[in-house]
Amino acid sequence: MNTIECVRRVALAFVACSFVLSALCVSQAAAQESEPAAGESKPAKTVPADPELGKRLFEQNCSQCHGADAGGDEGPDLRGVPARLGDAAVVNIIKRGIPGTAMPLFPDLSQQDAANIVAFLASFNTAATQGTVKGDAKRGGALYQSSGCPACHIIAGQGGIVGPELTRIGAMRGPGSLKARLIDPGANLPENGTGFYASKWTEYLMFRAIEKDGHAVEGIRVSEDSFTIDLKDASGKIHGFWKPDLRSLQSEPGKSFMPSFKDVLSAEQMDDLVAYLMSLKGAQ
Amino acid sequence: MKFRLLGVVAAAALSFAPARSLAQDVTYEQLLHADDTPQDWLMYGGDYQSQRFSRLAQINRENVHSLRAAWIYQPKQAGEAPIESSAVVVGGLMYVTEPPSTVTALDARFGTKIWSWTPRLPSKLYTIGVHRSNRGVAVYENTVYTGTLDCHLVALDATTGAVRWDVHVAENGEGYAMTAAPRVLDGKVIVGMAGGDVGVRGFLDAYDAKTGKHLWRSFTIPAPGEPGSETWGKDMTGTGGGATWGTGSYDPELNLLYWGTGNPAPDYNGHDRPGDNLYTDSLLAVDADTGKMKWYFQFTPHDTHDWDAIQVPVLFNATVDGKPRKLVAVANRNGFYYVLDRVTGRFVTGVPFVKQTWAKGLDPNGRPIMLPNTEPTPKGQLVYPDGHGGTNLNSPSYSPQTKLFYVSARESGAYTLEGRPRVNFPDFGGGGRLNLSGDQSYGAIRALDAVTGTMKWEYRFLAPAEVSTLATAGGLVFSSTNEGNFFALDAVTGKLLWEFSVGGTDTEANPITYQINGKQYLLVASGNAFVAFALP
Repeated sequence: MNTIECVRRVALAFVACSFVLSALCVSQAAAQESEPAAGESKPAKTVPADPELGKRLFEQNCSQCHGADAGGDEGPDLRGVPARLGDAAVVNIIKRGIPGTAMPLFPDLSQQDAANIVAFLASFNTAATQGTVKGDAKRGGALYQSSGCPACHIIAGQGGIVGPELTRIGAMRGPGSLKARLIDPGANLPENGTGFYASKWTEYLMFRAIEKDGHAVEGIRVSEDSFTIDLKDASGKIHGFWKPDLRSLQSEPGKSFMPSFKDVLSAEQMDDLVAYLMSLKGAQ
Repeated sequence: MKFRLLGVVAAAALSFAPARSLAQDVTYEQLLHADDTPQDWLMYGGDYQSQRFSRLAQINRENVHSLRAAWIYQPKQAGEAPIESSAVVVGGLMYVTEPPSTVTALDARFGTKIWSWTPRLPSKLYTIGVHRSNRGVAVYENTVYTGTLDCHLVALDATTGAVRWDVHVAENGEGYAMTAAPRVLDGKVIVGMAGGDVGVRGFLDAYDAKTGKHLWRSFTIPAPGEPGSETWGKDMTGTGGGATWGTGSYDPELNLLYWGTGNPAPDYNGHDRPGDNLYTDSLLAVDADTGKMKWYFQFTPHDTHDWDAIQVPVLFNATVDGKPRKLVAVANRNGFYYVLDRVTGRFVTGVPFVKQTWAKGLDPNGRPIMLPNTEPTPKGQLVYPDGHGGTNLNSPSYSPQTKLFYVSARESGAYTLEGRPRVNFPDFGGGGRLNLSGDQSYGAIRALDAVTGTMKWEYRFLAPAEVSTLATAGGLVFSSTNEGNFFALDAVTGKLLWEFSVGGTDTEANPITYQINGKQYLLVASGNAFVAFALP
């Protein structure tokens, strides 16, 4: 993803949202000294939570990452999450975010706002949501094996090391995002963090490093600072470079070690594979 | 036994000339001429001019490559916020602060702890828009002064850490907090406050250094009927913002304090505050005896991008158009570098030092000429620089040797969004922003001609950083990245001479330098550790 595309993507994300969106709330808390700080809110009013109001708040604040139907996109499927974690825990996550992940904090949503969102999420009948994933997970599991995926991805301890681990991918991403990756793996790569305080970075971005003797290494960035970069090559080997030692270092937006399955799998097979991936929730 | 021990101490003292005991009193004379005692780092900014220039030259261009770690001090309670403390060193004792509001005295030679003081903070602490950290202390005579997150100004005995007095400056429950280092003058402690994003009324306060008695308060938001109140549309004294959350500079001859003010509130929605919103985003020149404002200069009238003007003002003298002038320089969050006459507040120069897309330029009085379509919108408007600004709180430096101003430049933009205007604490943003990613941005240390703002060189690094610079007579500029790299540049050419990864993802503290027993040290804090360096 080049700069222009990325800017456009961010812009589109804004257009997609109606009014106040996630980053906006993060930054409000952080406005003066630029760090999201955990502020306490006023005591919750004793008003019953309103799932209808929660739906509107969800659309404004959460749908960019979790999908308009809460079924997940870049962020995980949230339907039924309150039943798993408890309402209070979800309110807390909304208010405070999850440090070290892309989940930002929403300090200017009131306790009541957060409770309304939780009521909306709790309103989903978990059984009824199974239908949104169209394919057959069992067939998808067989496709996963026969399509060569285990060569690069680990699931429950088994598999290759080049690509990201998929053990909990069904809890991390939604079906739309997974399908898009299968079609064009290097496009619209996810970004880590909220980018509010420290910079956020594109994950799995590929680079080509050429050393002074002409030796070239192409790989996925696994670490970078101003003086060093570490790349994971196609065999999973990690190469560390002292930047001043390199003849050149170029990012390769749009590129991925993963092949596209666009012309390899039928639409039905793609749905099956997505269904399988969505079934991978790891240990709860 | 006692006599023999004393004898050993005396012998040890003799062998380490000059013999000094730790924890010496600091006189106002010393503070006035801080650059005459470069072995100490006497205050935030190094001296009253906040030049952050040290005359120490033992570590220089030729030998800096062999710098190595001398000691590391890790605070016991590594907090949720990084260390942001600018240390003060007096006679071999170092005073640092640890998140959230702890003060610790270290033996500056070994990094060993002498004493530590931690306030009892309330369990319900409001820190919206405020780092849960602290930027440092002020030291005067035998007392260490610190501000706490719950907005107390506390005087501690420099030798023991015992509380001498404790003043409740403002209500944390209303959004007030303190994170900045106080500024101490002759018998007076000056302190600012934070909390502008939740719409408190900004002020600068003065207290008697001996007793803690309140001397004066200078508000940054005018009351109804006062000059400047007409720039708000209505009474905003309860909600206007204009926090004084940095540490200002001081000109002893003019007896003027120079202190920056923060953004108006709500940050991103200006509809309810038509007008320039004085005295937000301004540099104030305040009489140190009375608190009366002598002049002001507003950098960003009617700000809707959160461009606080609390960057540390650097005082220096130079010849402009053949005339010697007393000047003050500010590299502002809005992306412009300004030079003002510090006697009159008159605009001298102003040029962008990073990419900016909101102003066509500055008019002859230094007022920005706004471009259309730069205001926040509900869908987001991309504007450079981003909300952290072209540079932020982290101090720049000025070298009288090179006449250059060294500043961290942040090359990044942000989508700024207009939201509902909020008027009830603690909801007060009125919108927000989303910064571009690290892959779309970069950071640099830039050397500007201090008078004209012309860039002489830059040293680029990975991400836009909130970092400080330190210039030394060794011909060096020290700085850091937000990825934890601490490095030395040639002050004349910008060439990289040395680098060390101190780790930690927030190298936000101001580095300092000092000397003990003839050995020069450098100190930087990053993440949860203080790291000192010296030559082998």
